[in-house]
Amino acid sequence: MRNAGFSEPGDLPGRFAAFSTLAQGCSGRQRIFSSPADACFLCRKQEVSGTFLFFHAQTTSFSWPALVACLILIFNGLACTAPHQPLSENLTASHVISDDAGRNVTLPLQVDRVISLAPNLTEIVFAVGGGDRLVGRTSYCDYPTEAKAAAEVGDTLQPSLERIISLKPQVVLISTASQLEVFTQQLQNQNIAVFVTDPHDLDGVFRSIDQVGRILGHGEQANLLVQKLRQRTIAVEEAVNQKQPVRVFYQLSAEPLYTAGHDAFVTDLIRRAGAISVTSDVPGAWPKYSNESALAARPEAIILPTGGSMGAGNSTVTEALRRSPAVLEGRVYKINDDHLVRPGPRAVDGLEAMARALHPEAFKQ
Amino acid sequence: MSTMAADSKEVMVASRARQNRVTLRKTVVSCALLSAALLLAVVLMSLIGSEPLPAKASLCALVSLGTNSCGLTRDQFDILFQIRLPRILLAAAVGGSLATAGAGYQALLRNPLAEPYLLGISNGAAVGTMIALVFFGANEWTRPLLAFTGALLATLAVYRLARGRAGATPERLILAGVIVTTFLSSVIVFVTTLMDATRIRSFTFWLLGDLSGTSKALLPVAITIAIAGTVALTLNARSLNLLMLGERDAFDLGVEVGRVRVVVFVVASLLVGSSVAASGSVGYVGLVVPHLARLSLGSDNRITIPAAALGGALFVIVADTLARTIIAPRELPVGAITALIGAPLFIYLLKRA
Repeated sequence: MRNAGFSEPGDLPGRFAAFSTLAQGCSGRQRIFSSPADACFLCRKQEVSGTFLFFHAQTTSFSWPALVACLILIFNGLACTAPHQPLSENLTASHVISDDAGRNVTLPLQVDRVISLAPNLTEIVFAVGGGDRLVGRTSYCDYPTEAKAAAEVGDTLQPSLERIISLKPQVVLISTASQLEVFTQQLQNQNIAVFVTDPHDLDGVFRSIDQVGRILGHGEQANLLVQKLRQRTIAVEEAVNQKQPVRVFYQLSAEPLYTAGHDAFVTDLIRRAGAISVTSDVPGAWPKYSNESALAARPEAIILPTGGSMGAGNSTVTEALRRSPAVLEGRVYKINDDHLVRPGPRAVDGLEAMARALHPEAFKQ
Repeated sequence: MSTMAADSKEVMVASRARQNRVTLRKTVVSCALLSAALLLAVVLMSLIGSEPLPAKASLCALVSLGTNSCGLTRDQFDILFQIRLPRILLAAAVGGSLATAGAGYQALLRNPLAEPYLLGISNGAAVGTMIALVFFGANEWTRPLLAFTGALLATLAVYRLARGRAGATPERLILAGVIVTTFLSSVIVFVTTLMDATRIRSFTFWLLGDLSGTSKALLPVAITIAIAGTVALTLNARSLNLLMLGERDAFDLGVEVGRVRVVVFVVASLLVGSSVAASGSVGYVGLVVPHLARLSLGSDNRITIPAAALGGALFVIVADTLARTIIAPRELPVGAITALIGAPLFIYLLKRA
């Protein structure tokens, strides 16, 4: 009965992992069970390797829970052997778009139902004119307000797989920032295409807009949007071009101190705004940063992303920077966090806001 | 006959006095050595950090207790005295508190595995701290207060759950600890879902034990409680020694079992509460350090408790120095380091015992 702990995982991948361990326990003991269970695995294409490390269940004696689980698996296996809906009708009108995870995603030409699992992707869907086809979104997707009409499928970290499947989307848009790679396989098994975006800079954001536009059949509109955003970006860059770059500290949160590292797309925004992030060489996207290193960096300006959907929590400078040149000269700038942390169309608003704050003289007409 | 009885009584009293003197000497010597090591660690670890400081000038400034800058720049002086030293002192207070609490629980519950983290008492304090942060965010002093309340409630819950009709067995106690831990973990998860996104990030880090947010207001509180708690438990060490024979035997030998239990529960909850409020749940300190103290100095609580306090301070100072330097300028939570050192060390101790 050592398997008694198997029912603990609450989320779907975890539950499958627990089940797969049970199947292993059964097949080791009673050969007869191994083939339907295997059939089920092949059918579901579950990623089971690695899970055994965590659930080293060894059924050394006859155990009822294990038997029941095996029976469930057999029925599952039988159900799985029934052929899937024919793929051909979808395949007849499909095209391939490669995503930021390097996968070639096969997508239907006509997409009517799309779910976005990141607020920046929801914003992009609306910006390219595909908002009417958004059927699902996360609880963080609060912009534009029309987005709230779509069904909520959970937050970015724990969306409900059941609800996603029941909404019958053709495409699910994922941002790597949400760490949802585990869901990819499960959704694909349901014949739902998964498209992963991973922008690390403003060009990556433009790429996401282009990709989402093509997915929704609005490639032209996406092109126009990217063109407009590029023009605004170039205007900012030209305005600050001749200015001495300001050494900036980006304070994501004060206690504990988090900042933007090398991989954060806001680091690129800061550079384009005529500044340089003092933490631009720190590995990772959002590292926890040493207080004393922040103090020693002597930033000339501090940017506090605050006042947007994250609330007013991050509106004071961390203790260690209270005597930094930035604070002494009054160069602490609060900028709407939604424009800085979401790699979507409004990132250019964030870029303009930062550039105007850091180089006000460059924007005097 | 009567003279013989009187003689033997005198001999017993004399031998006991001698024994007490030996214990006292052993306590004083080991504590003096550990204190010296602790002081050395505070000074040495102050010289290490993500930003290099000139060693000689820093040492000179430390010896002058901050009255002389010894040629350090304003920034270097601030790094040393505003950031590093407070953090090291907090590490010492947290380590001392947790190790003392662990030693207290282990003696009272006669269970070598009794530890604030494993029994769910740290989690109780964490829930209290989170409630303070969510509802009384601005009032820093509510954090240790509610953390203490949470720790005390968790202690009582574990104790009640562990005492079945058959009495408290070590296995039952650990099981009760597991139940309380998992229950409170779900409470913590529930509370975090009520918070906004930036706070969740801070909390996951804090829950693992993090000393970077050293609060100027809470540091004196943590140090005071650490010292007072250690003294209080050391004063009850003789009773705890007798309690290790069993509650009934201790009672027969004149120990006020009920009073000692209340003292240990309240003092240990205060220690755990103040350290969790300041730094989150730093695990394994209360387990590993008292064990090391007993292994090297014997199981007399009059030595073990103060030695564990000093050793715990030493252990967390070193662990936190690693946490803030090995991937500098990024940082790790100190709880990850104590678990990384503590878990294998504990397995080694179990195998040896």
